[in-house]
Amino acid sequence: MKDNMKLGFILALFAAAACASLAVVYSVTGPAIAIQSEKALQESLKDIYPEAANFEDITASVKSSVEGVAIEQAFLVKSALAPLGVAVKAKGSSYGGAARMLVGVSLTRSIAGVRVLELNDTPGLGANAKSATYYVNKADKITFPGQYAGKYLTDAFEVKKDVAAITAATITSKALTVIVKAAADSAAAWLETSTLAAPGSESPAPAEAAAGTDATGGK
Amino acid sequence: MKNLWKTFKQGIIYENPLLMLMIGLCSALAVTSNVSNGIGMGLAMTFVLLFSEIFISLFRKSIPSSARMPIFIIIIAAFTTMVDLVMKAYFPELSKSMGVFIPLIVVNCIIMGRVEAFASKQKILPAIFDSFGMGLGYTWVLVGIAAVRELLGNGTFAGLQIMPQSYQPILFFILPPGGFLVFGLFISLNIWLKKRMQKPGKERA
Repeated sequence: MKDNMKLGFILALFAAAACASLAVVYSVTGPAIAIQSEKALQESLKDIYPEAANFEDITASVKSSVEGVAIEQAFLVKSALAPLGVAVKAKGSSYGGAARMLVGVSLTRSIAGVRVLELNDTPGLGANAKSATYYVNKADKITFPGQYAGKYLTDAFEVKKDVAAITAATITSKALTVIVKAAADSAAAWLETSTLAAPGSESPAPAEAAAGTDATGGK
Repeated sequence: MKNLWKTFKQGIIYENPLLMLMIGLCSALAVTSNVSNGIGMGLAMTFVLLFSEIFISLFRKSIPSSARMPIFIIIIAAFTTMVDLVMKAYFPELSKSMGVFIPLIVVNCIIMGRVEAFASKQKILPAIFDSFGMGLGYTWVLVGIAAVRELLGNGTFAGLQIMPQSYQPILFFILPPGGFLVFGLFISLNIWLKKRMQKPGKERA
């Protein structure tokens, strides 16, 4: 009995020391990790909308209509002169757990671009979705997320029909397509409720805010 | 010094963790579909192995033998998490391509095996040499298997197109069965190497 107590005590001591050192490492790296993921997001946004000057946070008013896909962040993207579209950062689940995608929808209700922010699928198979050198169309050098660009929301978004699958990674291909479609749909739904074309005629809150910052132009 | 060198050499061919001791195979087969993953996984594993061996060797007298397993796991898991956090914070590109494998290092049998069989009974210096030898032994096999699989299965080496465009990749090599096949060939290669090196009549302990 006494021996067991001693063992437990020693074990607890090691665990506490490990926790303490992890806490120290985390407090050092935590802010750097946040900066990195923010940087990655900003880069992807700029990548999809090269002429964008200003990203307005509209996260609060964009809702996901699909179960299993959550909208984490949403931005109204504007150039110096006019709105360009909506970008949505959505989280869903794929073969290897959580997957985060950035989906840009233009005002014409077509996909402006898709980027994979986080994906933990099998390297060499599902993880090819985030590889810059894996092409679903080798002749035209189109990557897996790249193929969504230009698609209209009225398209089917069905893997192996209008979406090319990654070889031997059908689950990943399907899961990511579901996320893209859900994110794009919620972005489109937001565009329906806001009236970007005629600021002030109707006045849901987001549209007004958009019109307001529009006048002042980009940062 | 000679003994330390011998300890270091053991891990590379004679007691190669993958090809002779046959431990840590699951991660080895999973990550070897391309060369960069192989290198990254090898380095990360070596780092965790090094620090786990140092710490466990340092505290070997205060770790009671009946509670050693959970204590080893705590130490290994702590170092693995640190590697993961540091990579995420300062090497986001590397972390992006290998994020999945880092947590798996915790359950990599090589670390548990070496810590149990070696570090918990040895002084710090031999433990350091052992971890470098084992780490290098693990890494070269990973890179070797990955090079074969990536070249035949995808036509590339570390992401660079090597084979001519007309080459139709043999997908079989990227998929798990191909991994087993190449792994088997490496085992036979290692045994051949070992026999060849023993031939000159030198006595081996």
